[in-house]
Amino acid sequence: MTNAIELNGLVKAYGDFRAVDNLSLDVPAGRIVGFLGPNGAGKTTTIRMIMSIIYPDSGQISVLGRPRAIDVKDSIGYLPEERGLYRKMTIDQTLRYFGKLKGMRGHDLKSRIGECLESVGLGDWRYKKAEALSKGMSQKLQFVTTILHRPELVILDEPFSGLDPINMELLKDLVIDLKAKGATVIFSTHQMEQAQRLCDRLVLINRGRKLIDGTMEEIRSRFSSRILNLEGEGDFTALAGQAGVIDSEVASGNARLEITAETDPTAILRQAIDVARLSRYEIQRLDLHEIFVKLVGEDAGDLDFSEKEPTTGGQR
Amino acid sequence: MDKIITVGVREFIETVKTKTFFITSVLLPLIMLGMIFGSQSIAEMAEKETQPAKHFAVRDESGAVYDELSAQIDQYNEEMSTRPYAFESSEASVEELTQRVIDGDLYAYIVIPSNVLETTDPARAAEAGDEPIAGAGPVMTTLPAGTATCELGRKDGNPEVSERLKMMLNAAIVRVRFATADPPIDYERVSMLRQLVGVRQVDVVSGEETGSDMIRFMAPFGFMFLLFMGTMTISQGLLTSVIEEKSSRVVEVLLSAVSPTQLMAGKILGTVCVGALLMTVWGFVGYSSAQARDLGYLVTSRHLLYAGLYFVPGFLLIAAFLAAAGAACNTIKEAQSMAAPLTIMSIVPMMLWWLIMLNPNSILSVILSYIPPITPFVMILRVCADPDISLLQVITTLGLLWASVLAMIWTAGKIFRVGVLMYGKPPSLKELARWVRYD
Repeated sequence: MTNAIELNGLVKAYGDFRAVDNLSLDVPAGRIVGFLGPNGAGKTTTIRMIMSIIYPDSGQISVLGRPRAIDVKDSIGYLPEERGLYRKMTIDQTLRYFGKLKGMRGHDLKSRIGECLESVGLGDWRYKKAEALSKGMSQKLQFVTTILHRPELVILDEPFSGLDPINMELLKDLVIDLKAKGATVIFSTHQMEQAQRLCDRLVLINRGRKLIDGTMEEIRSRFSSRILNLEGEGDFTALAGQAGVIDSEVASGNARLEITAETDPTAILRQAIDVARLSRYEIQRLDLHEIFVKLVGEDAGDLDFSEKEPTTGGQR
Repeated sequence: MDKIITVGVREFIETVKTKTFFITSVLLPLIMLGMIFGSQSIAEMAEKETQPAKHFAVRDESGAVYDELSAQIDQYNEEMSTRPYAFESSEASVEELTQRVIDGDLYAYIVIPSNVLETTDPARAAEAGDEPIAGAGPVMTTLPAGTATCELGRKDGNPEVSERLKMMLNAAIVRVRFATADPPIDYERVSMLRQLVGVRQVDVVSGEETGSDMIRFMAPFGFMFLLFMGTMTISQGLLTSVIEEKSSRVVEVLLSAVSPTQLMAGKILGTVCVGALLMTVWGFVGYSSAQARDLGYLVTSRHLLYAGLYFVPGFLLIAAFLAAAGAACNTIKEAQSMAAPLTIMSIVPMMLWWLIMLNPNSILSVILSYIPPITPFVMILRVCADPDISLLQVITTLGLLWASVLAMIWTAGKIFRVGVLMYGKPPSLKELARWVRYD
């Protein structure tokens, strides 16, 4: 399997702030890969560097086998996070313009515009001005501008922001459709649920560095603890102190316990029966959201530590 | 290159479709023509409107001038029946007359002193200049000390009235002096001998007789003004379109298809084509209408050649500058304040055009020719004013202009690349300098 994108030791700093800090990453061709991370994690900066919109201070990039995306821009579809349309141009004019910029011409362009607009339900809007579109329609049109030229590599920066659930489903189907046609799709998001359902691989980024990457299974296997959800009448407080419980949230009538992989959940269940009349008992694996929060939390802990160190060193 | 052209074509079409382009390309030249040819007919129309008579009281302390003055006024009233003057002789004191003017009973009072017929010694009289000739405009000469002085008291400052009165008063007084001289001198004979000759003006290049000096002198200014307005409004259009793309967030979508440099090059190319279209239309209309009205010497093919030579680089320079300013800012207001130095500089030829036209080869004119953003405007004035302008200066100014165009495009490209993706506060000069140093 070849890689659509390879990043090696990428660094980009703005003054003292390192937006991207020694990031290395491979994106295998033909997969859907999610870039996850909190706001300001460096996702957009990384994507912009992949797109040759900005250049890294150091490190290597390979996009579709070339060192610079400029050489293969016509094979890439990019939906930026900051996106808009020419308000005064009609949808047809807009798509023709972007199509031409991507190297499309003539009849192919014309029929492809019709085809794409139909697929997102905007067929009747072709000769209307962009300013007449609702926000959701604009979002769909922007997606169309991204995939119009049948790109091999599609990069979507926060594609789901501002979409209602129905359009979100539509967009998801379109992304899956892209993959079925052999395209590689990268998208950044902080909507964990979407990422979990859609992505073959995930990359978690925080403070410009990669925290983890791999398939959902691979990531989960690193976090082997389980979650126990309990509901019922009684006091669950005693359970929080049990051996094997790493973390707990106890309220009146329910408890949420994180236990290590080695802990036997039925042992906890027995305890629970002793203290309460249970109405619900559930064992879960960590979901992406929890893994994410955990990882980012640990990473922030690192930060605190590393910032304190020079001070103590100075005192010695 | 394909992509640059695609961007350029869109820029061109969208600019030509705007109202600003219509106003600049069609309305502005019409207004200019209207100002040049229409102001006279408007003035003529205004003169046809009848106005109420203006009442004057004349206190003639010499007792000799009033009759002659009223003869002058009768003649004036006959010629200008739409704005008559009514006169009365008065013995009242100046204070009383002043009160009547204040009350609105009189428009003005005139006091003619008793010594009005005396003249100072001949040498000083010669300095004082000649009797004003009717229709020759205001009397500009400063009078030597000791000259008899009349007084005109009124509330407003209408210069037409005062100039006319000065003329009539002087004509009347001079006539009386002739009549009362010892021995009397025949005024008619003297004025016959002083009859002036006309001067026919010919443009030696076209061989045509030139009409009004004023039109001939104003034409280059009109020429420069149109080019200036064209350059400024159209390149402002570029600034607006960059800011629009930034604020509507289209720009990053565009950057997924083209590099920032291609985007900027395409936009400048499109704008330059709009400018070229405008110049061609104006040049054609100006040239053919000048030919049609036998004013061919006003717009020659030489003028058009120089206009083209200077305005392509001039336009590029300003367009590149404004593209960078637009990219660095987020609102038109910010961008305009960033472009303020250029705007201020470009006013210089507007203020000094008269001096440049009068002395196209003065040190000032030459120095101004070597300041790149205003080179085209200054040079077009000089080329019009001096048909034998130094070829060396033409070549060196063009060379300097093109060199600064290249430098500006290079700098603008750097600023554009960083600027289009920057939102928030507009950058300081220091930050701009840092952007230019990024690779």
